[in-house]
Amino acid sequence: MAKPRVVLPGDIVDTHTHSGSDDESTMDVDAESRVLRLGPGLAQINDSVRATAAGICHSKDETQFWVTSNKRRYVAAEGEPVIGVVVARHAEGYRVDIGSAHDALLPLLAFEGATKRNRPDLALGTTVYARVSVANSLMDPEIECYNANTGKAEGYGELSEGYAIKCSLGLARRLFSSNAPVLVALGASVPMEIAVGLNGRVWINTETPATTVLVANAIKNSEFLDAKQCRQMVKELLEKK
Amino acid sequence: MARPDRRDPDQIRALNSVLGQLSRADGSAQFSTGSTSVVCGVYGPVDVKLFDEHLDRAHVEVKLRPDIGIPGPKDKWLESAILQTLEGNILAHLHPRTLVQINVQVRADGGSLDACAINAAILALVDAGVPLRLMVAAAACAVMPDGRIVVDPVAEEAEAARSLHTFAFAEKGLGEGEGPVYVDSRGVFGIEEYDACYGVCERAVGRVLAFMRSAVESKVTKESHVAGA
Repeated sequence: MAKPRVVLPGDIVDTHTHSGSDDESTMDVDAESRVLRLGPGLAQINDSVRATAAGICHSKDETQFWVTSNKRRYVAAEGEPVIGVVVARHAEGYRVDIGSAHDALLPLLAFEGATKRNRPDLALGTTVYARVSVANSLMDPEIECYNANTGKAEGYGELSEGYAIKCSLGLARRLFSSNAPVLVALGASVPMEIAVGLNGRVWINTETPATTVLVANAIKNSEFLDAKQCRQMVKELLEKK
Repeated sequence: MARPDRRDPDQIRALNSVLGQLSRADGSAQFSTGSTSVVCGVYGPVDVKLFDEHLDRAHVEVKLRPDIGIPGPKDKWLESAILQTLEGNILAHLHPRTLVQINVQVRADGGSLDACAINAAILALVDAGVPLRLMVAAAACAVMPDGRIVVDPVAEEAEAARSLHTFAFAEKGLGEGEGPVYVDSRGVFGIEEYDACYGVCERAVGRVLAFMRSAVESKVTKESHVAGA
């Protein structure tokens, strides 16, 4: 696996295999049949693969390449969990603001146990946790509050009570990955409920408003802190409380 | 004859940049060369007015506010210069039916404002993560009445100059005979002077691009250091 490196727009990403110098015959076969999968931040321009965003270029198995960059504006991607706010209600579904260029469509039937007779009833301004089911650049995104395969909610649905904050997409992604240092530090001493949307929104619910504010501040503070600094910061916030 | 700020003829003023300082914008950058300073905020891709909507690409819009007063014809002209330089460099087809808005606020104009504004805009676009084809940067130079060519002229030099030239180049192809992505020349000049200015600006752009690269790299490294920890 190639070492991650910083790329800027226009930088050529070397997609050729680095490992097989001792076994040239197999490498040639590989090179012929290899199908490259390019993730976000990369594009094929003429004969080369170039970065289109500034970030760190990662690769896996020398066939998958992607660039991780920190942004603030969400661009919907299929399968990602997001937190949205209901902004309108239509005959067939809700229109939900998920922070992307276009509002997402949430069909009335995309809830656990929903039928034509038994519809969910969400008021305007309701916060929902949903999964992006349709995302491409030509269509408005669609989201759903259940797993289409099992028909179960699996944690998605209306987020009642609680408090939603905004953060950068990079921070949301870090919080979403298991054992984010700030959440581990908070979880050790504060009982809380939390939902992370990869669209840069975090929903927090705790027993008292004061603790909710504390958790919100801790998460916002953690943007540029490493694990050790996170623990220290959380400790200081808890002491001040 | 010495320059007003005692620089060498081919020496650009000190560069400075701050990335992501605006908390509400999707991406922002402050770019300064000496006393000339510009802040740029980028919003995008966001929802677009029906009138501006393109079915196959994003609509790119540049808004420029001068340091004093309301925008005049000069500012409108600079807006279109920034748009021309950057529009072809943004991969607009990746986000159809959206808007990428580039807001440029001049903080101080101490000469070579157009080059500074272009540089600020490109850094803000990179900070916002708007997909770009290549890195681009601009530099200006002036031909003085005595025939000297000075790079990155201050306002005083630009006032006295016989001709003023601004060039923008893409990073890839710089020094490989690849042409500029933007040229603005005004005043009276010959073809030899133009060629000389071209070379002077090309070298200056190389230095600006190297600066931009280190600025962006340090921001990316700072963020990823956290992620890796």
